[in-house]
Amino acid sequence: MSTSQPNRLAEGGLIDRTQKLRFRFDGRTLAGYPGDTLASALLANGIRLVGRSFKYHRPRGILSAGSEEPNALVELRTGARREPNTRATTVELYGGLDAASQNRWPSLHFDLLAANQLFAPIFGAGFYYKTFMWPASFWEKIYEPAIRRAAGLGRAAGAPDPDHYEKANAFCDVLVIGAGPAGLSAALAAARSGARVILAEEDFRLGGRLLSERYDIDGRPARDWVKAAEAEIASFPDCRVMTRTTVFGVYDGGTYAALERVNDHVPVPPAHEPRQRLWRIVAKRAVLCAGAIERPIVFGDNDRPGIMLASAVRTYLNRFGVVPGRRAVVFADNDDAFRTASDLAHAGAEVVALVNAGHGPSRHAQAVAEAARAPYFPGAVIERVRGGQGVKGVAIRDGGGVTQHFDCDLVAMSGGWNPSVHLTTHLNGKPKWSERLSALVPDALPPGMSVAGSAQGEFGLAACLAGGEAAGSEAAQGCGFTTQPNTRRAVSEESEPASPIWQVAKGRGKAFVDFQNDVAVSDIKLAAREGFRIPEHLKRYTTLGMATDQGKTANANGAAVLAGLTGRYLGAVGTTTFRPPFTPVSISAFAGHHRGPDFRPARLAPSHQWAKEQGAVFVETGPWLRALYYPRRGEDPQNAVNREVANVRDHVGVCDVSTLGKIDVQGSDAGAFLDRVYANTFSTLAIGKARYGVMLREDGFVLDDGTTARLKPDHYYVTTTTVNAVKVMQHLEFCAQVLWPEPDVQMVSVTEQWAQYAVAGPRARDVLQAIVDPTHDISNEAFPYLAAGEVTVCGGTPGRLFRLSFSGELAYEVAVPARFGDALIRKIVEVGTAYGIAPYGTEALGVLRIEKGHPAGGELNGQTTAHDLGLGKLLSTKKDFIGHFMAARPALIDSSRPTLVGLRPVNREDRLRAGAHLIPKGAEATGANDQGYVTSIAFSPSLGHWLGLGLLAKGPQRHGELMRAYDPVRNGDVEVEICPPCHIDPEGNRLRV
Amino acid sequence: MSDRTLHHLSALAGIAVPGRYDKDEGEPSVVITELTGLGLATVACRKGQASALSAAVRKAYGVDLPASSRVAQGAAISFIGYGPGQWLAVSVALANEALAVDLAAKLQGLASVSDQSGGRTVLRIGGSRARDVLAKGLPIDLDPRAFPLGSAATSAISHIGVQLWQADDTRSYDIAIFRSLSESFWRWLTASAAEFGYEVTPAR
Repeated sequence: MSTSQPNRLAEGGLIDRTQKLRFRFDGRTLAGYPGDTLASALLANGIRLVGRSFKYHRPRGILSAGSEEPNALVELRTGARREPNTRATTVELYGGLDAASQNRWPSLHFDLLAANQLFAPIFGAGFYYKTFMWPASFWEKIYEPAIRRAAGLGRAAGAPDPDHYEKANAFCDVLVIGAGPAGLSAALAAARSGARVILAEEDFRLGGRLLSERYDIDGRPARDWVKAAEAEIASFPDCRVMTRTTVFGVYDGGTYAALERVNDHVPVPPAHEPRQRLWRIVAKRAVLCAGAIERPIVFGDNDRPGIMLASAVRTYLNRFGVVPGRRAVVFADNDDAFRTASDLAHAGAEVVALVNAGHGPSRHAQAVAEAARAPYFPGAVIERVRGGQGVKGVAIRDGGGVTQHFDCDLVAMSGGWNPSVHLTTHLNGKPKWSERLSALVPDALPPGMSVAGSAQGEFGLAACLAGGEAAGSEAAQGCGFTTQPNTRRAVSEESEPASPIWQVAKGRGKAFVDFQNDVAVSDIKLAAREGFRIPEHLKRYTTLGMATDQGKTANANGAAVLAGLTGRYLGAVGTTTFRPPFTPVSISAFAGHHRGPDFRPARLAPSHQWAKEQGAVFVETGPWLRALYYPRRGEDPQNAVNREVANVRDHVGVCDVSTLGKIDVQGSDAGAFLDRVYANTFSTLAIGKARYGVMLREDGFVLDDGTTARLKPDHYYVTTTTVNAVKVMQHLEFCAQVLWPEPDVQMVSVTEQWAQYAVAGPRARDVLQAIVDPTHDISNEAFPYLAAGEVTVCGGTPGRLFRLSFSGELAYEVAVPARFGDALIRKIVEVGTAYGIAPYGTEALGVLRIEKGHPAGGELNGQTTAHDLGLGKLLSTKKDFIGHFMAARPALIDSSRPTLVGLRPVNREDRLRAGAHLIPKGAEATGANDQGYVTSIAFSPSLGHWLGLGLLAKGPQRHGELMRAYDPVRNGDVEVEICPPCHIDPEGNRLRV
Repeated sequence: MSDRTLHHLSALAGIAVPGRYDKDEGEPSVVITELTGLGLATVACRKGQASALSAAVRKAYGVDLPASSRVAQGAAISFIGYGPGQWLAVSVALANEALAVDLAAKLQGLASVSDQSGGRTVLRIGGSRARDVLAKGLPIDLDPRAFPLGSAATSAISHIGVQLWQADDTRSYDIAIFRSLSESFWRWLTASAAEFGYEVTPAR
C-alpha cells in the first residue's frame, strides 16, 4: 500500500488535507484528498502511466486537467456500475473509488498488443478498408471482430445499471454557461438586476481558470474574489447555481440540454437520489462563458506520459497542490504558457529548460526563465523525446540548429488557446478565423446567445471580467431588467496571444495530432496525398476528431497540419462541424425514468385489476394492456382460447372492449358532418340505433371502421378500433377545424369515461336482464339488433347499452362510467355464472371474428379499399365524402385486385399460417404466380379445424377453387379451399334472436 | 355480493396508499392527495353561441368563462379553458355524473357537454418541493411569474397527457390524467418525489 503521495506539495491547493481518501487504481491502494480529481490524485502518487492508446496501444498519461482529456480514460467503478472511458481529469475523487486502466492486456505496463506500434507504418489511415477487402464475407465474421478486439476503449458493464436517472426542466431569463471569471461576472450582473439566472458549471467548483492560476484581482488573490462572487450569487433567491452540470447542446427556441452529475462523485447514490439528471433548460438569453482549450504542439513522441498541457501543469500545481514532475521543460510558443515556469519554480520544481518555440523574441519568456533560473532557448524546439512509459529526457534544437539533451520527467507544452466555440455552432453557425488569435472564434450565434471571455477570444483576465459583466448586463436588459453600471477591476496578469508554430518541422518519432484516435502527422500526410483536403473528408478518412473527446485538442492542429501540407492559408481550410453533445452523455441519462416497465406508459383497462386476479395473460395492443386469454389450471393457451370461443358460441362470454376509441360527436350538424367523414350515411340513422361505418382516407383507402350510435338528435357516439383511436380523433378534429369550420359540430374523446363490456352468446340477454334496470325493456322486440340507448344499470348507475355483435352471436355492449368498471365486470360475472359465463380475451375475440369473416387489423392494413374488404356496398353514391373521388380511381376499382376471401385447409389437419402466399394449384412457387396472401388465421373450435382470411386476386369469383398456401419462411405448403369469408351463420340469424 | 348497486373504485386503489414514503426526515416537502368524487365534464361551445353561452354560464353559475388557459372559479363550479371554445368544468358540489347532467340541462343548445368524471384521476400535488417534482416531467414553467394563481395548462408528463391548474393555493397544483394511465403516472410521480420524501394523504 502506498499512501505517501510523493508528488503532493507540502501546502497549497483547494484540497482538504484534514481528510485522507483511499482509492484503488489497477488494484493498488492509493490516497488522495477531498477536492482532488482522480488525475490529480494519481499524479500526487507519482503515477504517470494511466492508459493505453486506442490503436497502437501506446503508453499514455494525463494530458490535460479538464473535460478535453483524450488520454487518461479509465474504467470507473466495478460490477454493474462499471463505466468505461471516463476521463480521470473530470472524475471527482471519493473514498473507495475503484478505477482500472483500459485497452491493455495482460497489464498496463506490459501490453502485448503494443506490438501494434511496430506495424504502425502499415496501420495508417484507411488501412482496414484497403487491407481487409477480400474475401468480402470475411469482413463481418473475422476481420471486424478481430480488429475490434485489438483496437478499442473500455468495456461496458454488461449488466443493467442499478441506478436511477431522471430528466428535469428549468426556466430562466439568463443562462450563464461556465463559471470562470467571465461567467461569474455575467451571472452577478444579471442576478443583481433581478433576473432569473441559472449558472451552469461542469466542474464541481466555481472559478474556472481562477482556481488554477496565481492571479490577483483588485490586489487580492483571485480565489477570494471567486469566494465573494459565489457568496453574493447564493444570496439571490432567483439565481440557481448548478455545479457538475455540463451544458452540452443548444436547440431551437432558447432550449439548452445539460447533464447534471448529481451523484457521480460518491460511490453509490444516496437512497432515493438519482445518479444523473438530464436538464432541458429554456432560457430567454444565454451567455456562453465556456472558456478556451489549450492546444498541444505537434512533435515526435509528443504523447509520452509526462508531456502535458502547460495550463494543466499550473492547475495541478496551484489547484491541487501536486507537482506533476520534479525536472520540467516548458515548451511553448506563447507568453501565457511561460508563466508555467514561474509556477513550477515557485513550487520547488527544477525547470531544466524553457524552450520558446515562438516566431519572435519574448522579453517575458526571458524574464521568466531568469527568475526561474532556467536555461532559455529562444527560437528552439523539442526535436526528440526519450522514454517509453514516461518521458525521461528531451533533445532541444536551438535556433542555430544545435541540439542539446536534457533529462526531465515533465514537459509542459502549449501551442496557444482555442476558444470553446462548440455551443455557438449547434444551430449551424460557423465559427470564423481570427488572424490575431490564430484560432476560430464565434461568429453567427444561436438566437439569444452572446459570448464573453475566453470563449469569445478575449483571453486577458481584465477582458474576461469586463466582458462577462457587460454580457450579463446586456442579457438581463434583453429580458427587460435594469442593470447597474459596469465596474472596472485591476488585475495582475495579462499576456498577448502569439503566432503559433503548430508543429515541429523536423523531428524524430511519431508526431500525434489526435491522441485518442491515434492519428499522427503521417496519417494526415497520407490523406492529403490521396486527395482528402477538406477537414470533413480528412476526419472521415483518418478518424481525426472522431473519438469520445471529439478532437477538442486535435482539430485545430489537424487543420494546421493539413494547411501546411497542401500549401493553403489556414484561415481558409475551414473546420469540421461541432455537434451535440459537447462531452459524452450516457444513454441512461437520455432514457431517464423510461426503462423496463416504464419504457412507455401503459394504459390499463377498467377490468385490469379483476383480470389480473383471474390470472389473465396480457398483451400489448397499442398503448393498452389487454387480456389475451384467461387460462384455467392446467390449460395451455390454445385450450384456453378454444374454451373461451366455444363458451361464447354455446353459452355466454364477457370481454372488456373499453379500449375501443369512443368519441362524442355533438352539435346540430353532427349527422351531416359524419356523412362527410364516413363512406356511408349517418344523418338518416334513427335515434336509438347504431350502424356499422367505414371511413376512408383522402386517397380512397380504408382508414378505420366501427359502429356509431345516435343517442340524441344532435349527439352521436362514434367508436373506432383500439389501434386507430388517436388517428381517427385527429382526423375528425382536422376535418372540423380545417376542412369545414362552418358546421356546428363538437367532438371530444370519451374513451376514458366509459368502461364498456361486450356480453356475447346465446345467454347474453339473460345476463343483461340482471344488469340493466328493469325499467328498460331489452327484449328482442323492444331492443332489437343494432338498438342503442341510454339506460341505468344495477340500481341507477347511468349507462349506455348497444346491441352490437362482433362475434356473430346475440350480443350487447354495456357501458358505465369507468369508475364503476371494476364493479360492473364483477357483477356481470356474478350474475352470469348461472348462465355459464366466462371472460374471453382478445385472442378469442380474434377467432370469433375470423370465423365470422369480419376484417380487422390484418385486413385494415392501410393498403385495402372498401371493395377489397367486401364492403363496397357501403360506399354511398348519393353524397360526397372523404375519399369518395379517389376510391373510384381505376386502379382501386380494378376487379383483379386482391379481395377478401375465406380459406380452409383441404386436409382438415393442416395448419394455416398468416403471411403465406396464395399460388394456383400445381403452379410453381414464384413471384409471378403469387396471387395473394393469408392475412389472418385461427383455429376454429366451432369447426374443428384451422381457417383463415386472405386477400386474393378476383377473390369473390374463385370460391371453391383449390390453391397452395405457400410459406417459405416456415416451410409451409398447404392446399386450401377458397370460400366466402364468413364461416359461421352467414345469414346472421344468431345475432337477431 | 348481494348488494345490487355498483361501487366506484379509484384507479389508484391499492396503489396510492396513505403514508410517508422514501426520504423521511423533516416535514414532508411533497404531499399528494387524490381528489375523488369531483364532477368533471367537458363543455364545448356550439357554433355561434359564444356570447349566449357566456351569459348562460354567468347566470347559472355566477362565473365568467375564461377566454384562455385560466381557471375561473364560481361558487360551485370552476371552468378551465383548454382550447378555443372548450372548457373542463370541475365541481365538488355537483359531484361525479351530476355535474354533466346539470350543465347539459342549463346550457342546452349552447354547448356540447360530455361527462368525464369517470375518466380522469385528479391529484393535488402540494408542499414546498411540489414544483421541483413537477419539473421532472412537465415541460412548462411553473414559476409564479409565468404561472400565477389561476393559471391552467394542457401538457404532458412522462409521455402522459395532463391537464394542470392552480386554483387556490400557490403551493399546490391539481393535475388531471386519463384514468387508464393512472398507474404509470403514479410510478413516475413517486420516483420523482422520492428524493424529497412524500406523503400520500387520504383521498378527498
